[in-house]
Amino acid sequence: MAQERSALLLHRQLGELMKNPVEGFSAGLIDDDDIYKWEVLIIGPPDTLFEGGFFKAHLYFPKDYPLKPPKMKFISDVWHPNIDKNGDVCISILHEPGDDKYGYEKANERWLPIHTVETILLSVISMLADPNDESPANVDAAKDWRENPAEFKKKVARCVRKSQEE
Amino acid sequence: MGNCLKSPTADDISLLRGGDSPVDGQDPTLLGPPPPYQESAPVYHPAPNISRPAHLLTEEEQIKIAQRIGLIQHLPCGEYDGSKKARECVICMGEFSIGDKLRYLPCMHIYHKDCIDDWLMRSFTCPSCMEPVDAALLTTFDGSN
Repeated sequence: MAQERSALLLHRQLGELMKNPVEGFSAGLIDDDDIYKWEVLIIGPPDTLFEGGFFKAHLYFPKDYPLKPPKMKFISDVWHPNIDKNGDVCISILHEPGDDKYGYEKANERWLPIHTVETILLSVISMLADPNDESPANVDAAKDWRENPAEFKKKVARCVRKSQEE
Repeated sequence: MGNCLKSPTADDISLLRGGDSPVDGQDPTLLGPPPPYQESAPVYHPAPNISRPAHLLTEEEQIKIAQRIGLIQHLPCGEYDGSKKARECVICMGEFSIGDKLRYLPCMHIYHKDCIDDWLMRSFTCPSCMEPVDAALLTTFDGSN
């Protein structure tokens, strides 16, 4: 029951994104037979250090989506305070509401069942432009960003170049 | 102590997630008599990020969940008759059809009953406006007194 519901909702979103693509990213499935695994290509937002890059990422939806959030992982290298060194994206809207043991996030910034691939990716694009260094997933990137902008810029530029070659 | 979460009323059944699916394809007849409380293994969410079958809930969690079920049942519900402005359930992105069961939250947001009840068991907030439903409910109760 939950599975049928999540599959139907994801098919609806995929159809909608095919019909009316959204600026800033493109989305599709990793494997046409598995609606729960998406591959997206995020265009580095203009006027940011990430401009010019094309970053590939995967979204893994649970069977009880939209009650639970998907996990998102960048396949392309991205040097960013909120993306850990394995590529896992760490932003508050992908965290379930509930007991936040670190107390960093307000409940209203966390997962809601009305989030879609589109709203998630728009949040991620805004995160690329505007890192949140209060709870970094990549401590070294956060340190660069705060204390050594030149080094941060250099490492991001390297990711952008690499993403263009992929 | 009795377990009020086991009461098999029609309303409760709709709140039990996955309660109607067999347990991992195991044939219970091969395992002898099933242990009590595991026959249908409904899963509850004492906190949104915690999933536990009913028999593993602490007493405190059982009370919390029973209270939550009670509160949800106090929220008005009805059937879509085409007269409301809202046309779509933003949780499943499906359009309301005549006869669909709807749930009305105190903040005036409307969802399919099944879609929102599952969410409210995890987090007692309106997904659209993030208004805590219990606070709004209490205000409604105060107002009616």
